[in-house]
Amino acid sequence: MPRLRAGHTYKTNINENTTTMSYQYTQTFNNRRQQNWSRNQNTVAYVSNIKLGPVAHTVIVALMITVLGLVYLTQATRATSYDYKTQQIDSQIAALNTQKNDLQVENARLTALETVKNSSVASTMTTPASTQYANQQ
Amino acid sequence: MKLELQKGSRSKVLAAILFGLMTIFVVRLFYLQVIQHGYYIDLANREQVKRLTIPAKRGQIYALSGSTPVPLVMNQDVYTVFADPTETTNDNEIISTIEKVAGGNARSNLQNLLDKKDSRYQILATKITLAQANMIKSKNYSGIGFQAGNQRVYPEGSLAAQILGFVNDDGIGQYGVEEKLNKQLTGENGLLQSVTDVNDIPLTIGNHNINKPAKDGVNEVLSIDPSVQSYTEQALANGLKRTGATRGSAVILDPQTGRILAMANLPTFDPSKITDVQNNAVFNNGVVSAPYEPGSDMKTLTMATGIDKGVVDANSTYNNTDHIQIDDVTISNASLGQTGTITLQHAMNWSLNTGFVTVAMRLGDGTSINRQARDTMYDYFHNKFHLGSLTGVEVSGEIAGTVIPPTDVQGNAVRYSNMAFGQGMDVTMIQVASAFCSIVNGGNYYKPTVLAGSVDKNGNYNANQITTPTHPIKLSTAYQVREMTHIARTTNFPGVDKPGYYVGGKTGTSQVVKGGVYASDETIGTYLGYGGTESTSRYVIMVQVSGDHKELAGNYDAMPIFTDISNWMLGYLNIQPKG
Repeated sequence: MPRLRAGHTYKTNINENTTTMSYQYTQTFNNRRQQNWSRNQNTVAYVSNIKLGPVAHTVIVALMITVLGLVYLTQATRATSYDYKTQQIDSQIAALNTQKNDLQVENARLTALETVKNSSVASTMTTPASTQYANQQ
Repeated sequence: MKLELQKGSRSKVLAAILFGLMTIFVVRLFYLQVIQHGYYIDLANREQVKRLTIPAKRGQIYALSGSTPVPLVMNQDVYTVFADPTETTNDNEIISTIEKVAGGNARSNLQNLLDKKDSRYQILATKITLAQANMIKSKNYSGIGFQAGNQRVYPEGSLAAQILGFVNDDGIGQYGVEEKLNKQLTGENGLLQSVTDVNDIPLTIGNHNINKPAKDGVNEVLSIDPSVQSYTEQALANGLKRTGATRGSAVILDPQTGRILAMANLPTFDPSKITDVQNNAVFNNGVVSAPYEPGSDMKTLTMATGIDKGVVDANSTYNNTDHIQIDDVTISNASLGQTGTITLQHAMNWSLNTGFVTVAMRLGDGTSINRQARDTMYDYFHNKFHLGSLTGVEVSGEIAGTVIPPTDVQGNAVRYSNMAFGQGMDVTMIQVASAFCSIVNGGNYYKPTVLAGSVDKNGNYNANQITTPTHPIKLSTAYQVREMTHIARTTNFPGVDKPGYYVGGKTGTSQVVKGGVYASDETIGTYLGYGGTESTSRYVIMVQVSGDHKELAGNYDAMPIFTDISNWMLGYLNIQPKG
């Protein structure tokens, strides 16, 4: 087959007894080219000599699906592993909050009026005999 | 060579069978996967998707010391230690560890509990903290488990117990602020809906996950001053011990804002040990939920009504004969002998009933407590001073009481003559004390409140705004009545107050209705007063003592308790005495 060159079109005549070919410009092809192809796009299609049969196609598709599945599983497993880490951190936060809260309760108990009243410091305090205000004459 | 299956060959039969089987499989799979799709999805979701409630933290309750919130009620995570006696080994070591770590929270008979080998669940200790639980966990005893829980803790013990109330086993507030503000304190639980693994750990996979965070309850700050509350409870306890009264109540308000600084009732209870309470009556807050006939404390409000209407003043006189006739009833004074022409100030000093019945008469035509007089009294008592109606104070169990209107058949002249000196009506201490605040502060009525603000999640205190007052009486009226009560106090109880301060008050001794008639062997003693400087009163204190078959008087039994608290308050508030 002659190669088609961009900008040229050819027409083939095939006689019954001979296989001679002659080519000539046709207006029709130009119109189709203008309709279907944009400027600077390759108008040549290459066909590989390697042909894949239906089995090969099926295997390739199956492999692609397997790869995609593996990718999905990898991502899903990774997300799940983060969930476990999140859970561990949440548990730590909860435990620390509980400890903090316990300390606040203990602090409140130690500073409670009843505790202060019964403290050794309070038991040694005495009532002043007399008091005066600073700006009193 | 072309291979063909011959008709009726075994291969052809096998192919037909296989085709038939495949058809069955396809049809079955179609049924399961397409027609029954929704059913199996639901089944899978029920197994894999968990709906977990994220519990909201109940709001904490604080008192207010100056401008610093002090925790009165807190939350604490606690653990119950239990054993499976069939699994435990080395029981002696377990008992030793639990007794050492849990202390008083351990059960007393641990050996007996662990010996019950036919049981698989025995509680060994309750209410231990996380640190204590971790200490026991670190020993890795077999057959020992832990259950997490949450409880309310009270760092100040039984302080202000009736104001606080408590939370029952269902997490619902009972009595006090816990009940009244239960909705605000409870908050709103969150929801976590997620696919979980076998350990119930939520996973992010899944299309229907929901994560709605919990909305914690509001941390309420009460206007209660813990020091004032503590001193009031102690003074009341001392007073009851001295007088032999079995019940006592006291309330202290800031008359300039209506905020309650203390509200004490005896006997009381420990909110952390409510199961020990024998008589549920101790849960009631008598200041708001025990209407009574207020007695002579009401004379201050009757006087304010008369002065405000311009019919009397402190120096107005009347002829006191110790008795006065209203319709077919003769009303007498409790203190006899102050007869002749006397002033209403004198009547106030001696708490003479005839003087205030006279005021009631002068609100009408001067000779009887006619409809005009009764309408005026009702307007002041009920509509302006809010007696006989709920104040809206934020503790549960408030009772309105009764002030019978003149439109009622019982709202006659005799009834209103009694009301002039505090009988024939049922009101609560908080109503009387709040009304008296308007006399003390220059004529402004503030709705009484125990709420001062809230603490946000960052621990910052946000104060509530003071409510806008109403104006039941004129400023001049308030000044006059305040001065009258100051004179009454200094006349009857000279030298009891710290010098240099402006303190006043009024005694009240009221009869008690039992079985529809006034009991002859029981009276309630009250004292209602204020303290501060001449320019500004800083507190109003109302004290009440009572007891079954006990005749208690305002001047002997309640007044000394007022004096004790008042003198302490003058120092506590750092009020400088007059030169």
